[in-house]
Amino acid sequence: MTAAPGGAIIEPVSKNLVELIRRHHAEEAPTALEVLKEAMDARGVITDDDRRVAAERSGLPEAAVYGVSTFYDDLLQPRGRRHIRVCTGTACFAATGDAHVDALRDGLGLELGERSEDGATSLAETVCLGFCHASPAVRDGDTIDAGPGVVERILADAARSAHEPPPRSVLGEPVLTVPGGWRGLARARAELTPEALLEAVEAANVRGRGGAGFPAGTKWRFTANAPGEERFVVANGDEGDPGSYIDKVLMEGNPALLLEGMALAGHAIGARHGFVLTRSEYPLSKPALEAAAAAARAEGWLGDTFDVTVVEGAGSYVVGEETALLACLQGLRGTVSARPPFPAERGVHGQPTVVNNVETLCNIPFVAERGADAYRALSPGATPGSKLVCFNERFARPGVYEVRFGTTMRELCEDVAGGLVDGRAIKALQIGGPLGGILPADKLDTPFDFDELAAEGCMVGHGGIVAFDDTTDMRALAKHLLHFGAAESCGKCFPCRIGLRRAHELFADGAPVPRESLEALLETLELGSLCAHGSGMPAPIRSLLAHWPEELGLG
Amino acid sequence: MIELTIDGVATSVEPGTTVLDAARAAGAAIPTLCFDGRQDPFGACRVCLVGVEGAPGPVPSCTTPCRDGMVVDTRDPTARRVAGAVVELVLSELPGPPAPHTELAAVARDLGVGEPRWPGAVHQPLHDDRHPYLSFHHELCISCGRCVRACDEVQGAFALTATGRGFEANVVAGLDAGFRESTCVSCGACADTCPTDAITEISLLEVLP
Ligand SMILES: Cc1cc2nc3c(=O)[nH]c(=O)nc-3n(C[C@H](O)[C@H](O)[C@H](O)COP(=O)(O)O)c2cc1C
Ligand code: SF4
Ligand code: SF4
Ligand code: FES
Ligand code: FES
Repeated sequence: MTAAPGGAIIEPVSKNLVELIRRHHAEEAPTALEVLKEAMDARGVITDDDRRVAAERSGLPEAAVYGVSTFYDDLLQPRGRRHIRVCTGTACFAATGDAHVDALRDGLGLELGERSEDGATSLAETVCLGFCHASPAVRDGDTIDAGPGVVERILADAARSAHEPPPRSVLGEPVLTVPGGWRGLARARAELTPEALLEAVEAANVRGRGGAGFPAGTKWRFTANAPGEERFVVANGDEGDPGSYIDKVLMEGNPALLLEGMALAGHAIGARHGFVLTRSEYPLSKPALEAAAAAARAEGWLGDTFDVTVVEGAGSYVVGEETALLACLQGLRGTVSARPPFPAERGVHGQPTVVNNVETLCNIPFVAERGADAYRALSPGATPGSKLVCFNERFARPGVYEVRFGTTMRELCEDVAGGLVDGRAIKALQIGGPLGGILPADKLDTPFDFDELAAEGCMVGHGGIVAFDDTTDMRALAKHLLHFGAAESCGKCFPCRIGLRRAHELFADGAPVPRESLEALLETLELGSLCAHGSGMPAPIRSLLAHWPEELGLG
Repeated sequence: MIELTIDGVATSVEPGTTVLDAARAAGAAIPTLCFDGRQDPFGACRVCLVGVEGAPGPVPSCTTPCRDGMVVDTRDPTARRVAGAVVELVLSELPGPPAPHTELAAVARDLGVGEPRWPGAVHQPLHDDRHPYLSFHHELCISCGRCVRACDEVQGAFALTATGRGFEANVVAGLDAGFRESTCVSCGACADTCPTDAITEISLLEVLP
């Protein structure tokens, strides 16, 4: 047990497990999750023999391995020789109202999570394949197909890879949408002490792009000062928000920029090793990062001074939460732990760790190369720096765009993304992920920035922008969001574990929803939950109650 | 030492003391479900919520360290309302009311929890009576994690694990083939800490002829 500075004695995961894992890591043993994923890839289902092997190889107790094997979607849904995963994320819902899910179920004669008796075909649910620009999306083996006709092609066994639009920038001089060139790291190694780099990141006021907007400099300073034998940098590439594919574009299209940002974080806090956690829903991220890391080693950018390991998750939204992410990295169940201690004090192997979002880290090379003032000038009068946003398939020009903070939502939706397709009107936007509120069309003049969106019950979040057109049924949307919330709850804290299930049940059939009891339930989630999954899921429901009460079927 | 005020009374505690420990030492009654003084705090049940001046909402006392100048109100109406609602949710997932002698029943009485406002799916009965001394009624499990931590932190046997996620969460021994097929050493620490009688020790009197 360790007492956090002036803090309580709390262990992120059992101290005994942490110690077991640390010892096996020293022997370069695989984690239990890695062994279980291999078994699933090889045989399509996990048996007790696989669990015993995973326990043996990882050094985890058998019971703990069993717990891991019942947590992650990828380990739970049996796979046939042909494994089809249909996206049930919010952008795909906005495109079809889930008609694509029903059509696949009917066409294949399989339920979600079912494998045909002869083992030939299986159908599984997946939440966001990062093809929200071309919804609906379906993954057949390793081919991700999307857009009109996708269901027919899958049923005809003729899936083809969907096209991905390249990211674009509205800035005269793009920062995040041009290939990384290691100039920031070169400058830092030549002329910036760790302290000077830390000061630059603090002065630039780089705010976290993973959702909470916490200043990166403050987090780095805290980690640099925390006592520990070694320090680590973790890039959070778990981008689970349905409707977001920003980190996907960065990790797959510009992996060197992320690696450079991580190496700079290492330089500033005194870390020699970093980890990136990628999503299994993005099968190309890990290979892209590994290839970029190999190239960087060959050029001397990575290696003895700082190196990076890429780890892939296994299907869980809440693993994006930083304490759950650290548990997943160590191959454990991806449940949330109470903070303090923060990862800055006790992260990987119980050592001080910076956990930053992928996009946050991609901002750092510019700060290192050009300095805080140039960075602040990118979005004059608003949150410093630039921001990647992405638009769903309802827009005429969907894709990832680099924009300035402070731009109005109207300019983003109309000028940047070209309004909606087929002359449809925007009914509402969900901004920044499933924990973000929903902005009605009459508030489109709200600027895209932290405080301005918060005043409307919304958030910048991670920057995904999902438009719902005028045909959207808001009660169906509430049910869709609460299904997601309940299915993804990590199950650790009671309000979320039971409360999101109850909230979904209130909307599940056609019965009138008693407003007072719904609001009491939302309050319990907001004020009682351990992490922002449970406390944030009510936000979009509150927006629906505020702006479309007549559509919700309240009783 | 850290100086703080609990329910209007000034008190001082060692650095590292949690609000729960400080408040209980000062004589305040705070209900808890996932807390067991023999284990590290877990922060799962959220029944130990208290009010803290200046905080945006109620604060879980078991995982919150005391800070200088803190003003704690263990009877804060919002905290009590939310804690009561959480216990109401817990009762709503069980197939029937908890046995009156259990910790869960006592906490529900303390907080004056009545009929759950949010009925819905309940846990399906699933009894594992394969072990001679330990019985597991899975439908009574509220995933407080106390048995898992007792087995791991106190006993070091690692026989138990949390399983599933969300509403489907539960606990099993070993590879879900019962206590006997696991590394369980029959110490009974899990049954001893369980607040709902999901795991109970079958008394020797019952098994002897
Ligand atoms: C339910 C939940 C999901 C999250 N998912 C992500 C995610 O996918 N990516 C991410 O970077 N941060 C995610 N976060 C936020 C992380 O906990 C953490 O704040 C973030 O990675 C810190 O990086 P930043 O300061 O650079 O934003 C999530 C948080 C919660 C509560
Ligand atoms: S709020 Fe939900 S996701 Fe977060 S810790 Fe609680 S159960 Fe897990
Ligand atoms: S079996 Fe009992 S002690 Fe264990 S998690 Fe369930 S309720 Fe808690
Ligand atoms: S691909 Fe379906 S929501 Fe993103
Ligand atoms: S006793 Fe504090 S959260 Fe359970």
